[in-house]
Amino acid sequence: MSPPSIGLLIEITARTLAVCLPALVIALAIGLPIGIAIGGRRFKGRVPLVSLVNTGMGAPPVVVGLLVYFALERNGPFGELSWLYSPQAMILAQVVIALPLVVGITLAAVGALDEDWDLQVRTLGVPKRWRLWLLLREIRLGLLAAVITALGGILSEVGAVMAVGGNLEGETRVLTTAILMYTQMGELEIALGLAAILVGLMLVLAGLLTAVQQSGRS
Amino acid sequence: MIRIRFFFVLIAALVQLACAEKAADEGDLLLVTTTSVRDSGLLGALLPVFEEQTGVRAQVIAVGSGAALRMGSDANADVLLTHAPEGEEKLVASGAAVSRSPIMENYFVIAGPPEDPAGVRSATSPADAMRRIAAASARFVSRGDDSGTHRREIALMKEAGLDPDARWPGFLSSGAGMGQSLQIAGEKRAYVLSDIGTFLAFQKRIELEALSQPGPSLRNVYSVLRVDPARLAPERAERAKQFEAFMLAAETQQMIAEFGRERFGRPLFRPLHLEPQPAP
Amino acid sequence: MREAAILSASGLRVELQSRSGSFVLTADALDLYPREALVILGPNGSGKSTLLRTLAGLERPAAGRVESAATGPVTMVFQHPAPFAGSVAHNLHIAFLGKKLSGAERRARVGEALERFKIAHLAEHRAATLSGGEMRRLALARAFALRPAVLLLDESFAGLDADGQSALSLDLRRAIFETGVAVAMVTHDLRRAMLLADRIAVLKDGRLAQIGRRDDVLERPNSLEIAQLVGMANLVEGVVSSERRGDFALVEVDAQHRVATRAACSPGNRVWIGIRPEHLKLDVGRGAVDLIGKGTVQGIVNDGVAVSVQIDWAGAELRTHLMAGRGLARTLEVGAEVSLSASPERVHLIPIRSD
Repeated sequence: MSPPSIGLLIEITARTLAVCLPALVIALAIGLPIGIAIGGRRFKGRVPLVSLVNTGMGAPPVVVGLLVYFALERNGPFGELSWLYSPQAMILAQVVIALPLVVGITLAAVGALDEDWDLQVRTLGVPKRWRLWLLLREIRLGLLAAVITALGGILSEVGAVMAVGGNLEGETRVLTTAILMYTQMGELEIALGLAAILVGLMLVLAGLLTAVQQSGRS
Repeated sequence: MIRIRFFFVLIAALVQLACAEKAADEGDLLLVTTTSVRDSGLLGALLPVFEEQTGVRAQVIAVGSGAALRMGSDANADVLLTHAPEGEEKLVASGAAVSRSPIMENYFVIAGPPEDPAGVRSATSPADAMRRIAAASARFVSRGDDSGTHRREIALMKEAGLDPDARWPGFLSSGAGMGQSLQIAGEKRAYVLSDIGTFLAFQKRIELEALSQPGPSLRNVYSVLRVDPARLAPERAERAKQFEAFMLAAETQQMIAEFGRERFGRPLFRPLHLEPQPAP
Repeated sequence: MREAAILSASGLRVELQSRSGSFVLTADALDLYPREALVILGPNGSGKSTLLRTLAGLERPAAGRVESAATGPVTMVFQHPAPFAGSVAHNLHIAFLGKKLSGAERRARVGEALERFKIAHLAEHRAATLSGGEMRRLALARAFALRPAVLLLDESFAGLDADGQSALSLDLRRAIFETGVAVAMVTHDLRRAMLLADRIAVLKDGRLAQIGRRDDVLERPNSLEIAQLVGMANLVEGVVSSERRGDFALVEVDAQHRVATRAACSPGNRVWIGIRPEHLKLDVGRGAVDLIGKGTVQGIVNDGVAVSVQIDWAGAELRTHLMAGRGLARTLEVGAEVSLSASPERVHLIPIRSD
């Protein structure tokens, strides 16, 4: 087996980002509002809902992959989409995996605010659209934790993206699935090289986010 | 003082025990085969009989043919069961393998969607079928993992006058085993080259049909290769011999002839050393 | 004469559902006036916070209305200071979000509010690093930055020590006087109420039991429960005598213990005699009309500022205060027999309802 060319490495890395970053953004876009809504107020059924979120956080990603597979396969409920073994399926699986993480961390951050925070903001006459900005500002360290955690989870995920993506060369092959494949084929040097790229990627992204987090503290 | 000594002895004993367990788990014979052989279930039927007869417990590792041959040449295995004749002959020529005994055969099949957009049904030969698929830019799932099946794909493409590295829109490389590749082909309604055994096992689920006619270029011969005994522990080399003998034995060959009939209505393999039998 | 009410609640009925059941708050009439502090006093669970939130417009009453004549904002400060991330000055600027004020105007107001509450030196400090007392000042300064017409405080002095409470009350009182804001504060603590109140409203079991000028409520509570709530600690049962002492009616507890009072009453009625501790005097040679009989000292507690004395008088336990380090406080001992007196003006009567 000839070692992959630089072009191929770039392609796999680019695809990894092209799948992971949109998944992160979508998970944040859906998860943040839900986390804020749940975390901010007391209502009937809040406790079982938070329980559900916590369970989701601990759900094995490969199980999520299996469920998404069932949903997307030809004879499944969403078979019409023909998303199985395509990048869309991988993004979907990763959104489902990251969503409980985002919701859970966000609602914990909102829940940590002072009891009377919301009332105080209202009685200071802060208009509605500023209130959301203020809330996000108050929990921004918690938000950043959510982003870092979700991104780390998404980048390192292999089981679900393998199951729903199929590791197709030129189509759905990303760093994690490629590493798995080359390891199984006995091509350990190539696998190690890809692993180095993946770890490098995570270091860069985590480093960027941590820098933002720490500057926020000062 | 005695306490400490006792403690160390205990640790040593536990370590010994753990190692012994490990050795036992490794099995008496390391057999490396390909994923399609494993997936067919044949070894699951044959190996218990082998153990009963010889007391040898075989440990099976399934990888792509390329990796299997490499393990053979590195003497990381005791005996190989593969279906990549070219590579096998090279291994024997290099001396890494000391014998090559073909034991059974079947055919590859080009499977595809019943609609058959590339017109494979009317192909004149398997090579012609590949040519049609490429010409129609139809979807095709390649193993892409240097397995025996993958090598056959390349051989067919060469025979069809295509560049083995040719990629047309619709060409998908899974880098995965036969079962996974078949599932992908089923999902994507693509053509795929498969060994008959795995295909039959997956056929109903993936809703694809065998579209090709059997031909010499689709012939798939399985052989047992013994790794050079000089590079193995003597007892292992001996057991490798026993395995080879077992696979060539008339009784075993008869079992191979029947294997699969119950499940698929037809046997998956044709043994090569059976005495001529009356027509079924 | 005082100005017109800036906030008026009438015929209020608020219904709350909570985990422990439903709760109903009623208040017939409650007014807030500018340049004045009304303290709503009541034990926990009496509905004080609910009442305050209704005045703020955060709760909708099932009946009745709250009318506001305020031209400026109605602001509230809560039990938890809820500081925002960032500097103290930034916290105050948050109050201006979405409001049309120039940068110069904002800065001026922030400076003014910080000065008012003596935390101008902390302007650039991170709000999260402030001490408890400083955070309370921050919360108040933040509210004042808005130049409110009405300020509602929900237990906003909780967690401060005695000195902190006094100091903050002084600053708040000055702020009320200087800005003319109408303040309503809710508390269960009598001391805090007394530090701040111009008027007191007593809330018990969801009902507005008494509302009036501070001294009226403190000196003339309408019922036994209210008397206990407002610190009228000396409450003894007695019968109105047919005898009089000069101009004053006489209430008899027993033959040796009779109390003269200015309050109107009819002979033969059973009443509670109520005397605030600060109006109960020991061994001071006042006129005979003040004398109420002898008692025995049961206990003395000296906290360095005031001496609290418990006395057994006619079988009841009475309390009074002396200033530490002066006169009687230096020589008084447990077991001593003392002569007690109280000015008839200060003796309050609460009729005992015959049930």
